[in-house]
Amino acid sequence: MDVPVWHEATKELRRRGKVEVVAIVQDQHPDRDRLFLQWKQVDWPVLADPMNILNLETVPITIAVDESGIVQFTELPMSAAKTIEQTFVDQKYDRRDAPVVPKPDLRALARAPRRTAADAIAYGDAVAVWGGAGHVDEAIDAYRQAVRLDAQNAIGHFRLGCALRERYDCAARRSTDFQEAVAQWDRAVELEPNRYIYRRRSQQYGPRLEAPAALFDWIPTARAEVKARGETPLPLIVEPGESEFDSPAPNAVPLRKSSESDPQGRLRRDQGEFIAMETTVVPLAVKPGEQARVHATFRPNLERKAHWNNSVDPLTIWLNLPQGWSVDRAPIVIPNVAEEVSQETRSAQFQIRAPANAHAGQVKIGGYATYYVCEDVGGVCVYRRRDIEISMSIR
Amino acid sequence: MKALLLVTAGLLVLPLTAQKKNIWDRNAPLPYGFNVGDVFPTRALPSAVDGKPTSIASFRGKKVIVNVFASW
Repeated sequence: MDVPVWHEATKELRRRGKVEVVAIVQDQHPDRDRLFLQWKQVDWPVLADPMNILNLETVPITIAVDESGIVQFTELPMSAAKTIEQTFVDQKYDRRDAPVVPKPDLRALARAPRRTAADAIAYGDAVAVWGGAGHVDEAIDAYRQAVRLDAQNAIGHFRLGCALRERYDCAARRSTDFQEAVAQWDRAVELEPNRYIYRRRSQQYGPRLEAPAALFDWIPTARAEVKARGETPLPLIVEPGESEFDSPAPNAVPLRKSSESDPQGRLRRDQGEFIAMETTVVPLAVKPGEQARVHATFRPNLERKAHWNNSVDPLTIWLNLPQGWSVDRAPIVIPNVAEEVSQETRSAQFQIRAPANAHAGQVKIGGYATYYVCEDVGGVCVYRRRDIEISMSIR
Repeated sequence: MKALLLVTAGLLVLPLTAQKKNIWDRNAPLPYGFNVGDVFPTRALPSAVDGKPTSIASFRGKKVIVNVFASW
């Protein structure tokens, strides 16, 4: 990470108004970068490019741009920071009148026919940046149109995935958004296997790698150090989940076959009256012997004022795995919180492994969650079972 | 003499080639806007602070170091 190095090298130059330093962050969740910069006490302007509109293959990259907007140095190594004043900041460059991309006319763009994937992507990009609140549906439609017009368009698939995940993280969420995002990212990697940024996006939510690079392990330390300075850590819209941390180590929990608590299916089913559930598999297709990560999310139905009853057994997931399949823990338990009742979204992640001799084709894995839930409309507390079906394929 | 010329030419060319060789052996060149002499992309991106679209062109008249990164 070269941010602290560049910050240190340019602090004084910025104070004297000789240079500006701008960060452009490539995270799906740019608020995490803001927390990172707060932690490192870096006050650069930060622009967010979660959809990789800049079309870069990988990060980080440091570029020196002169007064006219012309690139004078690219791919600056960290070692260049020490001498940047002499090599760039104090240099005189010819002034040029370089063109600037104007603000897009969204109305005109919306009316214009979109005949190619590039047309549709251009509209998706414009609306994603300039559309304001509620833009995400239009961006999704535009990127979807792009991949309909050209199914081989990796950029369209990647950005569609990012826009879907963005919607999943806001109030306009649709329960299938995350799963569809994963499918789009996986397709983008298939089409453009050398794109590091594409590859990492899917891996961020996927099964633990054999030698995982830490993604967001720095967050607890950052928060603690920011607090110790007497500041409030910037809040995150989405807390990183298990797949985004480096610990526990791969296969720290032995893989074993699941057990069941209601094999005869006698428990009453919740069809969403109390709890809405989403499951997402990452990736959607694995080879025999490989693992996939399942994200299971449970949201109390706020219209019925449903809430968790925390004085009894916690939410538990039971899987009925096909022959030869295994899971990294069984059963999967989401602990209760300290309050007697609560309404928070609960989620769990677990890994399932296909047997080494699995045949290619679609697989459906059944299971269910059991939980105690109460609601205010009828004033009842119940114990319910919510059926789960995980669909994926073996390549 | 011919051989000597070839060797000399090789010596002259070699350091330049080595300099140009990218450390991660990129498969694709950098997109337009990131190479020396290009106009750095001026299309706006949302500010990570308030979502307001902001272009690097708003810094025209100043030298700018752009650090593109991710916190992972």
